[in-house]
Amino acid sequence: MVLSLIISALVIGSVYGLIALGYSLIYSASGLMTFCQGELLMFGAFIGLTFYRYLAWPFWIALLVSMLIMFILGMLIERLLIRTILSKHAQTIYVVLATIALGIVLKNAAQHLWGTTAVQFPTIFGVDFINVMGTNVQPEAFVCIFLSIVVMVVIHLFMNKMKFGTSMRAAAMNPLAARSVGINVGLTTGVTWGLSASLAGLAGILLGPVQGVSIMMSTTIGTKAFAAAVVGGYGNMYGAILGGVIIGFVETFGAAYVTSSYKDFITYGILALFMIFMPRGILKGDVYES
Amino acid sequence: MKFIKKIKPEIWGILFLCLVFLLISKNVYYITLFVFCGIYIIAVSGLDVLFGYSGQISLGHAMFYATGAYTSSLLALQGVPVWIGIFAGIAVSILLAAVVAIPASKLVHQFLALLTIAVGNMVYVFLSKAKVTGAMTGVKNIPDLSIFGIMLDTKLKFGIFMLVMIVLFLFIKSRIINSSTGRALMAIREDVVAADGIGINVRKYKILAFIISAVFTSFAGSMYAHFVGYVSPDGFTGTQSILLLTMLLFGGAGNMVGPICGAVVITIMNETLQGFSTYKTLIYGIVILLAILFMPRGVFGLVQDIIRKIKSSFGRPVKKNAEN
Repeated sequence: MVLSLIISALVIGSVYGLIALGYSLIYSASGLMTFCQGELLMFGAFIGLTFYRYLAWPFWIALLVSMLIMFILGMLIERLLIRTILSKHAQTIYVVLATIALGIVLKNAAQHLWGTTAVQFPTIFGVDFINVMGTNVQPEAFVCIFLSIVVMVVIHLFMNKMKFGTSMRAAAMNPLAARSVGINVGLTTGVTWGLSASLAGLAGILLGPVQGVSIMMSTTIGTKAFAAAVVGGYGNMYGAILGGVIIGFVETFGAAYVTSSYKDFITYGILALFMIFMPRGILKGDVYES
Repeated sequence: MKFIKKIKPEIWGILFLCLVFLLISKNVYYITLFVFCGIYIIAVSGLDVLFGYSGQISLGHAMFYATGAYTSSLLALQGVPVWIGIFAGIAVSILLAAVVAIPASKLVHQFLALLTIAVGNMVYVFLSKAKVTGAMTGVKNIPDLSIFGIMLDTKLKFGIFMLVMIVLFLFIKSRIINSSTGRALMAIREDVVAADGIGINVRKYKILAFIISAVFTSFAGSMYAHFVGYVSPDGFTGTQSILLLTMLLFGGAGNMVGPICGAVVITIMNETLQGFSTYKTLIYGIVILLAILFMPRGVFGLVQDIIRKIKSSFGRPVKKNAEN
C-alpha cells in the first residue's frame, strides 16, 4: 500500500517538477511569470493522444512529434504575444494577465477540439499492470519517473555544459550585456518559452496513461505546479524539481492518510503559507520583495 | 448637503433616466439585468481601488464576493436581521482581506497574484466541501432585504434600492480617491520606493486598499445573495475572479467611469451569450487578450485618447516664422 502511494507520489511529483521547471526557466530567462503551463500540459497531452490513439503512431514518435509541436507553439507565444506586450512597455503584470487569458483560450479551444469528457490514454506496453513487490503498478508510472529524471539531467547538462545553454543563462542574467557579447537574446528567450511548453507537453503525455486526459487537468495542475515552483525556490531549476517532489508527496500522502476531499485545500494552503513566510522557497529563488 | 451641489447635472440626468427606465420596464428581465449591472459596478469599483489605484493585483477577488454572499445568507437563515447579516459579511471580508493583505504588502506583483489565487482557491474548496455552507448544493431560500420597514420583495423595489446603493458606493469611492488616502494609493502605484521616501506608510495603505476593495465586493456579494435568493459555490470560482478583472481591464482601471463601463458592457454581453455557455469563457479570454494588446487603458482610456486626438486636431496651428 505504501509502495503504491510512493510511486503515485513520484509520478505526480515528477509531473509537477517538469512544469515547475518550465515556470522557473521562463522566470530566470526573462523575469516573467506565466500562468498557462497547466493548459499547455493539457494541450500537449491531447496532441499526443491524437497521434498515439487516433492515428495509431508508435508511442515514441508520437511523443517526440508532440514535443516538437509544443516547442513551436511556445516560441510562437513568445514571439506574438509576449514580445508585443513588452514592446508597448506595459507593466509586467499585463504579461501575467495575458498568459492567464491565453490559458483560458487554450482550454476552450481544447474543449471544442476534443470535447469535455476525460479520455483514456492507451497503454504503452500492452499490459495494464505489472506486479512489483506485491503491489500492482502501471508500467507507465515507471516510464514517467524515468523519463522525467532523464529530461532533468539533459536540461542540466544543456544549461551548464553546452554553449547555447550557457548563452541562455547569460541572456537571463543580463540581456543587455548578453547582446553586447553577440548573443541573440530574442532567440534564447524564444527557445526558453518553447522549451517550457515542450516540457509541459511531455509532462502531459507522461501523465496521460496514469490519469487520463481531460481539460479539467489543466488549471489545477498548473496552480499546484506553481506551488511546487515556489516551495522549491522560484527561478531555481533544481528547486523546481525538489518542490515538485515535495508537493507530490504531501498531496498523495495527505489524501491517503488525512483527508481526500480537502486535498486541494492542503496544497493551496501550503502555497499560501510559503508565500507568506518563505517566498524565496527552500533553495532561495529570486523572488523580489519590496 | 454641499455635495449635492457638487454633483454635475449630467449625473442627475443619468440617474433620472435610470429611474425612469426601471419604472417603465414592463419586462422584469430588464430590471434584473440592471440589478446585475449594479452588483458588478460596485464589485468592480472595489477591485479598481485595489488594482487601478494602488496597483495591487488580485486574482482571487471572488473570495470577498463569496464571504459577503455566504455570511449574510447563512446568518439571515438563522433569523438574524438581514442588515446585521450584511454588515457581518463585510466584517468577515475585512478580516479575510487583512489576512491576505498583511503578507501581500511585502510581495511584488506576480507573487501577490499567486497568493490571491491560492487563498481564493482555498475559500472555494472550503465552500464546496464544508457542510455548514451546504457543500455543492449551496444555500437556498435566502430571505429578502427590508429597508426602513419596506420589504424589497419585488424586483422593481430592489432595482430602485440598487440604484441608490450604486450612487452611494460610487460616491464613497470618489471621496476616497480624491482624498489624501487616494493620493497615497496612487503614489504607491506609481513608484513604491518614492512613496516610501516621502513618508507614506506604504504597508498601511496597501492593506487599507485591500480592505476597502473587500468591503465593496463583499457588499455586492450580499446583494447578489439576497436578490437571487440562492448561492452555490459555482458562482465563486476562479472564473468569477477573472470575470471581475476582465470587466475592470476592459472598462479601464484607475478612474470612476471605467469600471462602470466594463461592468455594464460585460454583464450585457454575458447575458446575450447565455445560449453559448461553452463559448463564454473563451470569449472572456479573447476579450482580455484584446484589451491587453490594444486597449491597455480599457475602453474608457480608448475613448479618452480619441477625444484628445479630436481636440488636438482642432487646435490652432503653430505660426511658422515665430521669431519675426
